[in-house]
Amino acid sequence: MNAPLGARGLVVSGLSVAAGTTTIVDDVSFTLSQGRPMTLLGASGSGKSLVAHAIMGSLPPGLTASGAIHLDGADLFAADDRPDTRWGRTIALLPQEPWLALDPTMRIGAQVMEVHRHLHGARPAEARRRGLSDLAEVGLADRADAYPFALSGGMCQRAAIAIAHAAGAGLLIADEPTKGLDAVLRDGVVARLRREVEQGRLLLTITHDIAVAKALGGMIGVMLDGRLVEFGPAAEVLERPRHDYARALIAADPSHWRAPSLPAPTDVVVQGHKLAKSFGGRELFSGLDISVRRGEVIAITGPSGCGKTTIGNLLLGLAAPDAGGVERSRGVAPQRFQKLYQDPPAAFAPHQTLRRGLEHLLKLHRLPWRQAEEAMERLALAPVLLDRRPGEVSGGELQRFAILRALLLDPVFLFADEATSRLDPVSQQDVVAILIDAVRNRGLALLIVTHEIALAERVASRVIRIGSDLPLAGGGDA
Amino acid sequence: MTLSDVTLIPVARQHWLTPSRAFGLGLLALLALFSLLGPVLLGHDPAAQNFAASLAQPGRDYLLGADHYGRSMLVRLAHGARLSFGMALLTVVTAAVPGVLFGLLAAWRGGVLERVLDFVATVLLALPGLLLVLILLAFAPGTFGPLYLGLALTLWIEFYRMTRATAATVLKQPHIEAARLLGFGSGYILRCYVLPEIRPILMTLTAFGMATAIIAISTLSAISVGLQPPTPELGAMIVELLPYYDEAPFHVLMPALLIVLLVLGLQLTARGEVR
Repeated sequence: MNAPLGARGLVVSGLSVAAGTTTIVDDVSFTLSQGRPMTLLGASGSGKSLVAHAIMGSLPPGLTASGAIHLDGADLFAADDRPDTRWGRTIALLPQEPWLALDPTMRIGAQVMEVHRHLHGARPAEARRRGLSDLAEVGLADRADAYPFALSGGMCQRAAIAIAHAAGAGLLIADEPTKGLDAVLRDGVVARLRREVEQGRLLLTITHDIAVAKALGGMIGVMLDGRLVEFGPAAEVLERPRHDYARALIAADPSHWRAPSLPAPTDVVVQGHKLAKSFGGRELFSGLDISVRRGEVIAITGPSGCGKTTIGNLLLGLAAPDAGGVERSRGVAPQRFQKLYQDPPAAFAPHQTLRRGLEHLLKLHRLPWRQAEEAMERLALAPVLLDRRPGEVSGGELQRFAILRALLLDPVFLFADEATSRLDPVSQQDVVAILIDAVRNRGLALLIVTHEIALAERVASRVIRIGSDLPLAGGGDA
Repeated sequence: MTLSDVTLIPVARQHWLTPSRAFGLGLLALLALFSLLGPVLLGHDPAAQNFAASLAQPGRDYLLGADHYGRSMLVRLAHGARLSFGMALLTVVTAAVPGVLFGLLAAWRGGVLERVLDFVATVLLALPGLLLVLILLAFAPGTFGPLYLGLALTLWIEFYRMTRATAATVLKQPHIEAARLLGFGSGYILRCYVLPEIRPILMTLTAFGMATAIIAISTLSAISVGLQPPTPELGAMIVELLPYYDEAPFHVLMPALLIVLLVLGLQLTARGEVR
């Protein structure tokens, strides 16, 4: 019913992207054909997003692309080419974190309808009818009048899919479409993307989530330092990866981990009695008892919006419970209770170099600089990173810096709030290994909040599931 | 559009000194030099009269001519520029200091304090700025005190609101919570995390505030409620010379041009990166 579908194929040959004389993406070639979606895997900073932007023609200023990209035989790098005339018509981008990409002042129904109205020139009534049917197809028919802020992350992602679908572009590029979504929402989004492929669209997905690559099937490419080091059919790459990095990447998926051996837990560092908390009139939990002992790894899992982060914040004293109490072991300095954040850049002051931040911290606690250097060596952090700002360091490195910062204060309790959910599998495995090491050697008590059940089950000595019998936030996410 | 590969891109740092800002700062520097050195080097009393030179055209004796009382225009313009500059700077500093402090306090403490400050700011904002100045001037017409106080009273609100809004956003971010957990105190957080975010806005607000103050002072003096003749005030000079426009149009335009240059310099300085 929508505009005719289908681009027949995308051919990328010898694509390189350079900033001045520095090559960031080096000689990437692949073909994308109907019915065979392609997924690019790789760490953040491996150049996979730049490949997408080169295809879109939306590289940031200062970057130049060379090589050739042909979509249905048309040369996208032709001199007289205007990439913006293609946007939405033949190529559509599914943005990461769509709750930031949707117009916050416009109802989602209107955002879908305007595509029909203005891109395809449909009459208002017709645009409305088509827009509603697009929303119905992603299960949002009854939410056409909702603003983006009233929708859950998964719903926003589906609304973005409806908009991309409405555009009817032959090539759909999904940039980290499942970032920040829990397993259930992620599977829903992946199923939607599969539908788009079945309807004849070309799909290029960029992700660091191997589960997404597996579920989408088709072809998988693995990128490392700007090169496509592995490219082949999904089943083959996932079962028998050839390149070392691809092998490490696939082995790093939590479902392949081995359970760590942990020492016997010792004394209790923090406990909560009969904790209760509601948020916006909705009870998150009540009568919750939790105690965390040194040398113990506790994982809390549950769907998004179930209040699992709140439990950690209550234990840290960052939030006050509605009822019940939190008791921390006496005589332990408050800064020995630490937290790791989901989004590493958000946990650092954006304009301060890492060196400055670290220097200030050491000075505050009268620690020698030597200690930071030793810790950096242990965590495999190159000294050159010190003079960068948080935004100029990869997510995995920055999260290791956050751990370093916390470990310098000799913590007894560390709350890792989805601390690895934005990292690629290899960085995730590194970060978790460092944390487990600290539990083993320093008797740290580790509280992990995660939506990755596989990770929780592999790592934790105890798993607390909450909210599993409650309806999901916003309802109707499946 | 987001780019998850940003870490790869060598950051081309935004130049602070854009061409328009450089031009504005250059213009301001020249004007500042003129207003500071002019009165010293020229040495004349701006009120010294010489009726023989009444409305003299620019020439050898009077570089920019003389007004209807035969007072040197150059000397009077230099004094006028100094007065406008100085008063604008004083007014803006008086507005900025409490504005920023109250803004930080409101963002930090919130609650009743924030509501009270917001209420006061809203009430003051509801009064037209010039009206406030006029009310105060009614107590002591033609003096600097009420003019200065009235302008500062209207200008601090912008500083307060911008500081509060920016600081509140920064204070909500996880890195503030992380800093607290790491043991950093409030002073450190304000100094190292909040102030750097506010600084660029302050620069812009200061320049805009000074431009507003300069125009307000000369406007009020021009309608004879601000500073009174014989004070060499640019607005008052325009009005004084207006009756002689037919004979000496250039004389009227000179103070006006000086105001334009001052405000232009400030506005260009306030213009940051082209977004």
